[in-house]
Amino acid sequence: MRKSVKRFSARIPLRLFESQPDERRKDPVMTRESDTSPFPYPLRWRIMDGLESALDAVWPRSMSRYSGWALVAPALLLVGILVLGLANIAESSLHTLDRSTFLPSEDYTLANYQTVADSATYWRVMWRSLLGAALTVVFTLLLALPYSYVMVRTPSAAIRKALLVALFLPFFIGQVVRAYGILIVLGTSGAVNDVLGFVGIGPFRLLFNFPAVVFGLVQYMLPFAVLMLAPALTAIPREIETAATSLGANWIRTFWHVVIPMARPGLVGAGLVVGTLSLTDFAMPAMLGGGSQDFIANAIYDQFFRTADQGLGAALALLLVALGSILVGIAIALFGAGTLGMGGKR
Amino acid sequence: MTRHHTRRGILRAGMATGGAALLTTLPAARVFAQEPAKPGEIIVRAWGGEWVDSLKRGVSDPFTEMTGIAVRHDLTEDNEIQPKVWAAVAQGRVPPIHVNWDTTTNATKSALRGVTEDLSDLANLSNTTELAQPVGLEAYPLVNTYGYVYVLAYRPEAFPDGPPQSWRDLLDPRFKGRIALYNDGIGFHFPAQVAGGGSLDDIPGNMEACWNFVREMKAQNPLLGEDPDFTTWFQNGEIDAACTISTNALAARRNGLDIAWTVPTEGCKFDTDCLWIPKNLPENELYWAKQYINHALSQKGQQVWLDGLGLPGVVPGLTPPEGLAGDPSYPTKPEDFERLIRISSSVQVQNESDWFARFKEIMQG
Repeated sequence: MRKSVKRFSARIPLRLFESQPDERRKDPVMTRESDTSPFPYPLRWRIMDGLESALDAVWPRSMSRYSGWALVAPALLLVGILVLGLANIAESSLHTLDRSTFLPSEDYTLANYQTVADSATYWRVMWRSLLGAALTVVFTLLLALPYSYVMVRTPSAAIRKALLVALFLPFFIGQVVRAYGILIVLGTSGAVNDVLGFVGIGPFRLLFNFPAVVFGLVQYMLPFAVLMLAPALTAIPREIETAATSLGANWIRTFWHVVIPMARPGLVGAGLVVGTLSLTDFAMPAMLGGGSQDFIANAIYDQFFRTADQGLGAALALLLVALGSILVGIAIALFGAGTLGMGGKR
Repeated sequence: MTRHHTRRGILRAGMATGGAALLTTLPAARVFAQEPAKPGEIIVRAWGGEWVDSLKRGVSDPFTEMTGIAVRHDLTEDNEIQPKVWAAVAQGRVPPIHVNWDTTTNATKSALRGVTEDLSDLANLSNTTELAQPVGLEAYPLVNTYGYVYVLAYRPEAFPDGPPQSWRDLLDPRFKGRIALYNDGIGFHFPAQVAGGGSLDDIPGNMEACWNFVREMKAQNPLLGEDPDFTTWFQNGEIDAACTISTNALAARRNGLDIAWTVPTEGCKFDTDCLWIPKNLPENELYWAKQYINHALSQKGQQVWLDGLGLPGVVPGLTPPEGLAGDPSYPTKPEDFERLIRISSSVQVQNESDWFARFKEIMQG
């Protein structure tokens, strides 16, 4: 018990420790009991004591210098599994499919990469993926910035809550269901064409083309972008905008010269998240593209699951990883890791 | 010669006769006392919608009734289950399914890879037609269970002058954006070869005629999808015609859609689906999986199952479902096959990837 008291006194906050004599004075029962029996610690303290003892047994104090690594270990394990998977995929990409046995060939070759390089289809699909991701980033940020700004700056709690609910609702609906909803709304017999029909125009084919895919992606990515932008906008002191206004800047100039530059970490972060997620998206091109607007993920799926050519699928997957990594690398090189709020300049 | 019947002998004979009579009244599950232990369930991969409903009615439910073994249907797509099964067998694990309901082309790939069990010892195989036997493979690493036709399904309202006579009729400008094909072109390559002015004998060596016709079709901006997409698109009025399996068109019609189908002059692709069992199953589960397939090949099983699908089976003497007797999507006699195109599985297996890639190349442009 003495050992326990010693450890506890060493670790509990000073405020708690100092309040103890007062508590004992106020409680005559405690004082009386303490004369005849060991000090009656509250149950919570005992539980904490037990937990500390258990922690000491599992992770002794002598190991405290490694505590940081222990906390990072699960994340490192996850990354390690990912790297292991990538190594496996890289190995697969070096084997072609033997169509007489449907097994990968024994020989190592770059033939799959050559196939991709020689294929006009894959170049087209890659270009479409990049263009789709870029357009999605632009449109999403254009919509997310005012949305976040109003959400953060509005004095009305009701409006803020309404905007938050509108933001989070789509999160509870999966991507596929949302895409299906778009199919219904934008279909030839859908709500939009019905409305157009009232004014005597249409119906139009609004689906199964590239704009429909980008529309679906923007709709899907908007909540991600708003959630990343809102903290960046909240971090901008309102007084700075007031100061700009008092110096004669109208709202547009204030927004352009003060808010946007100060929101850059959020804009870059949101752009990166939206860009990488869009680049690797599968469902929207598959469902809204009508089969002719494939992104790279769709081409990978085809190779893995439609033609059973895992080597070619693996090569495409690695190229997608490389493409995404290069884009993120360029963004960080241009804006610096510090822009993303990571502390350092680069 | 006079035989003396003792009292003991008469009693013995009576007991034997009574026992035999009793045995015949017992459910089949009780008769096979020496059969391997029954698993709690067997898992059968299947396609969803009308496909799995028909299988359940015709094969799975009666099998459960007969054996007491529950059947769980795994609706993972055939293309997606394939790598999982291949990986399980390669790693020496028990595969995720007991029976795979698959296209014959896909299943042939699995057979070539050596992941399928031999089904030659199924009792009901002796009562099947030639269609049941896989072409170009030794023994029965898979067993075909029915044939089907990739018909030209259409909305009669969009063809007021009567059904389309040729695949080329779809090139009419009024059908721009109103046609659907499978997103890998499956079912369309062979009629396209004829419609493009080529010869079926040139498959697979020279299919330029096919690709030329696909290019013409691409100019029509067709929608590309899978079975469920076609039904949705027909329902939503997005399309007027599609190259699809007759079962999908039949299901849509049974659901109240005004849909008809035809086999144009250039012909339609005829193919088969099959059942097979992956390797690495425990012995007892393998036994019961085989019994499941055996039941699927029984006269009664085929009749109910294929009534639902509206497809011709591999057991002689099946009664065509109502309205399908003589239908071009339900070929039974040699003359019914004259306008149907059947290319061997081995040719398809060897070239399918190239055809898919070529089709994609044109359609993704």
